[in-house]
Amino acid sequence: MKIFFPDSTTKITAGEPVSIGWILQQRDINPSEVIVSRNGKLVPEDAVASGDDEIRIIRIAHGG
Amino acid sequence: MGQGNPEMGGAERCTFCAEPPVIRLSEPDRHLCAAHLICEIEERAARTIRERELVRPHDRIAVAFSGGKDSTALLLILSRLLLSWDDVSLVAITVDEGIAGYRDDTIRAAEEVTKKLGIEHICVSFTDLVGDDLDTLLVGRETNACSVCGILRRKALTVAAHDAGATKIATGHNLDDEAQSVLMNTLRGDLPRLVRTSDADSSDCFIPRIKPLADVAEKEIAAYLFVQDLFPFLPECPYTRYALRREVRSMLSALEQQHPGTMRNLIKSKRAIEKQVDRSTISEPLRRCRQCGDPCSGELCQVCSLRKSLGK
Repeated sequence: MKIFFPDSTTKITAGEPVSIGWILQQRDINPSEVIVSRNGKLVPEDAVASGDDEIRIIRIAHGG
Repeated sequence: MGQGNPEMGGAERCTFCAEPPVIRLSEPDRHLCAAHLICEIEERAARTIRERELVRPHDRIAVAFSGGKDSTALLLILSRLLLSWDDVSLVAITVDEGIAGYRDDTIRAAEEVTKKLGIEHICVSFTDLVGDDLDTLLVGRETNACSVCGILRRKALTVAAHDAGATKIATGHNLDDEAQSVLMNTLRGDLPRLVRTSDADSSDCFIPRIKPLADVAEKEIAAYLFVQDLFPFLPECPYTRYALRREVRSMLSALEQQHPGTMRNLIKSKRAIEKQVDRSTISEPLRRCRQCGDPCSGELCQVCSLRKSLGK
């Protein structure tokens, strides 16, 4: 799977399915500060990512 | 965070239908699909408006519209609710502070949204108001950015709303913003501001301010827009790094994650204090600024004090 982080970095991983919440926890990202899409569709943190999924983590606070 | 592995394999369908969920909400715990999320957010905003009597027949509502996510959601929701209101009109007002590399994108986004929704759009600038943009005004005073910007933005908005014949000013303040303000005012020891009434507040301007999204969390707003392809992917204001709000936001969202309900409890505390406190005993009586005549608590209003310190 390919993960796009809010700081513009990306990570490609293979292996067991993981929850979106677990991905956020690994990067110490607070779930209430982001929304997450899987293959372009918004998903909750307890959704699972696996295989060729493309995960995009979007920071929601812009200020102003 | 850091409480072990988050649960995996959550609901595959919305609590209310067979569609896939886009968000999980608590109290009560439920998964919502895009359609039910949109419905829930719009109903919650409508309830806030109804219960606090924020809109009345024949109101002309000036929406403070930066083009960011909160004001985009606010404008969208109000434009939809407008269909069921008697003779209420909207006008969107965008304030161009003059922040290089930031505001141009948001103004473009604002123009696109108002055009799409068919809503009258007015753009005013700090240059029109004080002769300089924010970047110029802040040279050597960057750490005061949010305070300077807030004072001038409020003034620019009030003047534009007045000129547009508005009877209310609607802002996109959400649940997170409200909770952050309670904590910030507490940290600053600013009791008068802490107990300033939440509803249709007219204590610092002639036009009452309303916050229809005060019961909607920031994340819910972002999700509401994302599922409608309306989430604005915009840069962060470069001055937020100087803001106390940024630290408070981070602290509160961590607490909310660990202890769901923290933000609502903070707001509940503020409302309880509001009911107990006699505002006249802790606030300065309202006077008129000796420079411009605007209502204020001291000799000069905040804008005139600022102009004086900026040599404007």
